Amino acid sequence: MLSIVAAILAQAATPQVTPADFWLPIGASTQAHNVDLMFNIINYICYFFFVVVVAMMVWFVLKYRGKPGTPIRTDGITHHTALELSWSVIPLLICIGIFFFGFRGYVDLITPPKNCFDVNATAFKWGWQFKYPNGAQSDNLVVPSGQPVRLVLRSNDVLHCCYIPAFRVKKDIVPGRVTSLWFQCDVPTGLAEQDGYYLFCAEYCGTGHSNMNRKVLVLPQAEFDEWLVKQAAWLDEIPDEELYFKAGPKIYARCSQCHSTDGTDGLGPTWKGIWTRLTTPGGARFSDGKSYADLIGVGKEYATPEDYIRDSIYNPGKHLVAPFGNVMPTFKGQLNDRGIEAITGMMQHLDEFDSKGAWTKTPPATPAAEHK
Amino acid sequence: MTTIDTPRPEALDATASEDNYLTHTRGFLSWALTLDHKRIGVMYMCSVLASFFVGGMFALLLRTELLTPGRTICSAETYNQFFTLHGAIMVFLVIIPSIPAALGNFVLPIMLGAKDVAFPRLNLFSYFLWLGGAAFTLYSLVAGGFDTGWTFYTPYSTTTTTGGVIPVLIGVFILGFSSIFTGLNFIVTVHKLRPPGMTWFKMPLFLWAIYSTAIIQVLATPVLAITLCLLIVERVLNVGIFNPSMGGDPVLYQHFFWFYSHPAVYIMIVPAMGIISEIIAVHSHRQIFGYRYIAFSSVAIAMFSFIVWGHHMFTSGQSGLMNTIFSLISFSVAIPSAVKTFNWTMTLYKGTISLTAPMMYGLSFLFLFTIGGLTGIHCATLNTDVHLHDTYFVVAHFHYVMMGSALIGMIGGLHHWWPKMTGKMYNEKMACTACIIIFIGFNLTFFTQFMLGSQGMPRRYYDYQPEFQIYHVISTIGAYVMAIGFLTSAVCFIQSLMSGPKAPSNPWGGVSLEWQCASPPPHDNFSTVPHVGNCYDFSVVRWDEKTKNYIVDHKLELEHADGAGSHS
Repeated sequence: MLSIVAAILAQAATPQVTPADFWLPIGASTQAHNVDLMFNIINYICYFFFVVVVAMMVWFVLKYRGKPGTPIRTDGITHHTALELSWSVIPLLICIGIFFFGFRGYVDLITPPKNCFDVNATAFKWGWQFKYPNGAQSDNLVVPSGQPVRLVLRSNDVLHCCYIPAFRVKKDIVPGRVTSLWFQCDVPTGLAEQDGYYLFCAEYCGTGHSNMNRKVLVLPQAEFDEWLVKQAAWLDEIPDEELYFKAGPKIYARCSQCHSTDGTDGLGPTWKGIWTRLTTPGGARFSDGKSYADLIGVGKEYATPEDYIRDSIYNPGKHLVAPFGNVMPTFKGQLNDRGIEAITGMMQHLDEFDSKGAWTKTPPATPAAEHK
Repeated sequence: MTTIDTPRPEALDATASEDNYLTHTRGFLSWALTLDHKRIGVMYMCSVLASFFVGGMFALLLRTELLTPGRTICSAETYNQFFTLHGAIMVFLVIIPSIPAALGNFVLPIMLGAKDVAFPRLNLFSYFLWLGGAAFTLYSLVAGGFDTGWTFYTPYSTTTTTGGVIPVLIGVFILGFSSIFTGLNFIVTVHKLRPPGMTWFKMPLFLWAIYSTAIIQVLATPVLAITLCLLIVERVLNVGIFNPSMGGDPVLYQHFFWFYSHPAVYIMIVPAMGIISEIIAVHSHRQIFGYRYIAFSSVAIAMFSFIVWGHHMFTSGQSGLMNTIFSLISFSVAIPSAVKTFNWTMTLYKGTISLTAPMMYGLSFLFLFTIGGLTGIHCATLNTDVHLHDTYFVVAHFHYVMMGSALIGMIGGLHHWWPKMTGKMYNEKMACTACIIIFIGFNLTFFTQFMLGSQGMPRRYYDYQPEFQIYHVISTIGAYVMAIGFLTSAVCFIQSLMSGPKAPSNPWGGVSLEWQCASPPPHDNFSTVPHVGNCYDFSVVRWDEKTKNYIVDHKLELEHADGAGSHS
């Protein structure tokens, strides 16, 4: 009860966004102020003890420095029980105090209010997918302002950790468990990425660990509701014939960490020429020695190349193209059939895209155009 | 009982210049099969310093990579291997064996007035195990390297495609046994081989520290061994222990790992604290302040070290109640650490302080350990740790403790006992200069990392946001400065070996037993059972004009013994 009153008072007394200072970054959540206060109190205690120890050390060394030849002093005392007890007990009391206030702040930090807006966050090697209750999906975390938000965290593969420095929150994402964190930000940032706050992965997860950063964008409630509706329908709103070049590049942004479009090898095979490889006998080989032609065709495991691509996205470990390892996470539940249609279309028309996956809008008069 | 050599009559009255442990026998085999704790200590020291060079090179490579965001000199995969190797080599091959196995092996029996450790053959076996473990660790480099981080967190470590994971796990497993046997040996040695008159509370504080460390080594390391075995079983046989896709639990791995690795932090720091107690007392020529408090705080730290592992997992999904309990207990480590710091500082009071090279390292330790210890409070406090966990703040904190304290303590101890080990003095000015360069470089490197972390930069990042670059540049410059410092130190030692003046048996005016035998010590350390006095009573020390250093005056000692006899 007391802590709630204190928190309300603290909120009323301070601006919602505290600017960055020497030690701490910008603080944008309702909790940031309390964490910063604790951090600064500990800092001052540390300054005090550091100055005491170092000043005594320097003073004694200067005062009792014996040039070679100085006779040995023997008047130093060997112990002083009261002194030693006091410098055991006083730090102990200070530590208990710090523990208590840190604990109280922590309970506030981990206890989400009842009226939270839930967002599902899935972390995978190496990116994030944020999913909203109405089915909308987003690569950046977009949240409403003035309302507590609970992030429900899941991992597709290894340990990750969701860390938003501006909100002073962090939680590991453990495969096989569902963890969560909550925050509330009262000052909107708008949808421009450069105004958003960083969201990092803070638990080492391999090659792309440091590129798992996304932005947290905060919108006023009304704007957020509008964004949410639009976001949920973005794939459906695109006409079928425009799907591959409007939706394709957006989805490809996540594939691009491992799959290039220009022929260079990443952690996975390049997409360049993939459609030719899939549709002509020979093609690439799998690590079990089979070739595409052994798998794709009437009466074989996959009736069509489209079917093979769909299964490779949902069950990536089933057939591995040599010499690549089993590193791709599944996109089941993250990419629906329409999304896969967009990706497949993009693979078929890859010559219309540049090496970064952007549509260059120059469909050459080649067989690729016949697919339309 | 502890040597296989039959006593040679001439050894009894031989002087140091004619027969010492270095010249006692010759040839490669006389070293490779030696049972002499001094030679084993020296071999450990050479191996540890070589590993330190390799680990330091990886540190320089990864600091260079971090000069600019994105690619500077290598790819993300290579960078991940660099920091993993840096961590694994520095922890398992350098810091853990550095003080107990290298310096401890050399000094502990001499401090006890003993001829050797209790089990000399086991001691040699420990060293060969260390070599075996190091060989596997190095083999992992050619077997494809490993990018798991030195913590081997699952399921990443059981699913990563790098080929060196199994060899390094086997390597660390073997190194663990080396550590256990050394600890076992020291426990028995301290219990059984103390000379008549040396009661527990007359032992030098370095022995208390080594003894506390040995207990941790023996009790905690088996848990690491089991954990690594389980990891190998999971990776090779696909038995789901830690990987959730096979029904395991990754948080269980973290509990197992930190149940060893938190106590391991104290395997690293407690012996350094012991060295500092020796250095500060000997070079201030003053009775250590609060002997019993320091001795008990070593034991207290060793005990508390077993019940604080959970603070590595404050954000890991562990329950709030567990976090609260572990946070509270973690603060308990702060008290004995604070007590030691205050006691060392008070030891300087009314001393006769010689600003020698070991003392410079001792004072550096005090400065750096104070920062390292105090920033532990930020990390033990729950709500601030949520922000700081897994950021550069933690990296800076543990480097201040592990490198700024444990390694600086080790280097200080090496300077302190170098004349005893080699029989040669070194260029004092050059050694002090090296110490100052290392001190400046260290603070440049790691103090900036506190800001990096509190500003929100996560650790183990190959790429970073441009606003963090200034800190990284300063940190990298600091790393180069430190490298220059260590290079200066190495030159100083090599110069000492080549052309250093002969060291007296007691160059600093120390009173503990190791200063009573010749430099370098003879094969059997002492020809007669040494006299055990108060090892911190510097009233028996006086300046000697002939040798130009402080010596123990036996006349003063006799007078003092007469007076002390009444109240002992």
